[in-house]
Amino acid sequence: MNRTVKFIFYIIAVTGVWGCKQPKPQPEMRIPPTAAKDGINPYVAPDKSPMDMSYFPKDYPILRMNGTDEKSLVARVIYSRPQKKGRQIFGTSEKNLVQFGKEWRIGANEATEIEFFKNVKINGQPLPKGRYVMYGIPSPQNWMIAFNNNLFTWGLHMDSTQDVLRISEPVIEQKPPVEELTIFFEPSEIGADLFVIWDNVKVKIPISIEQ
Amino acid sequence: MKRLAIIWVLFTVFETSGFAQLTSPPLDKSPLDISYFPVNYPSLKTRDKISENPIARVIYSRPFKNDRVIFGNLIEYGKVWRMGANECTEIEFFQDVKINNSKIPKGRYSLYAIPDTANWTIILNQDTDLWGAFKYDQKKDVIRVTVPVEKADSPTENLAIFFQKSDQGCALNILWDNVSVSLPISL
Repeated sequence: MNRTVKFIFYIIAVTGVWGCKQPKPQPEMRIPPTAAKDGINPYVAPDKSPMDMSYFPKDYPILRMNGTDEKSLVARVIYSRPQKKGRQIFGTSEKNLVQFGKEWRIGANEATEIEFFKNVKINGQPLPKGRYVMYGIPSPQNWMIAFNNNLFTWGLHMDSTQDVLRISEPVIEQKPPVEELTIFFEPSEIGADLFVIWDNVKVKIPISIEQ
Repeated sequence: MKRLAIIWVLFTVFETSGFAQLTSPPLDKSPLDISYFPVNYPSLKTRDKISENPIARVIYSRPFKNDRVIFGNLIEYGKVWRMGANECTEIEFFQDVKINNSKIPKGRYSLYAIPDTANWTIILNQDTDLWGAFKYDQKKDVIRVTVPVEKADSPTENLAIFFQKSDQGCALNILWDNVSVSLPISL
């Protein structure tokens, strides 16, 4: 009996340590095993932080396909989706993937791009229709979010002299944590909310739309 | 045996409590990707290796072959195909270009193809932000070009669309499975 109890503690200890040091691997975008015999794509390999696109009105291309698009196109975000993979994403340490107080592309790879097809107000401040780079400076309570004119860039070294608009939004706690960076629009009373969600953080950006 | 049962229970508890996480809208199984011309433009621009504007970019989703025969099977010959997955593929020119000696004004277009055994018809269309080719409207075509099919030596697992520098400007290469086509673009 004593041996069994010891053994159980041993298992708890081992699984505990294993749980901390080697988080359960998350599914990641990769060539499936079947690809081995076909060979890896020799031209452009798929990205491990795959790109994605969000529209407002939500799922606009599908609405158009179904003939249920009552409103015209307002906005589109194009971003890459890194994954948490057991890491604490936001924090003060250099070990954190995104450090408080530093510029972050709100994505991976290329700078995140947002295009407005109508004039809008972001958090009450006017932003003319057009295409912008969107980046942020996260901190524990608030995020600064910038809309910037330096398009078609890789998401490092933002040129803040080309900022068109800067706003600040409070951080909302996201429970439970979200594995992949997720950016999407939801309709609101004044127009739309743009949500940025990753790990235990959620930020909501209110947008009103000029008709 | 009893010991094994206890271990199994412990593992189950750890699996369902300690590691459980909400999964957000999942990653797409045909992920989106983007290709620029000049090739790798954003990286070049950020490293101050280029000062002029980009010329073109393509945004497309990348389905997998997954052991299937793609052309003549998953993608039927003779039918308009979105040249990707999910939303129809989009091509944007940041300056006027020429395709098949016709001027294509700068702007954003949808990109479709009608694959066949020996040739593909490549279509640029004015109507963008559509899902698939379900609402494709031929009346909004900007240009249709026929290009020959080349057989690739080894199959490509993911659809790949990318630009390549050429004497006249660039070529837009489309590769998937055992098929390769190339659309010449003059600047």
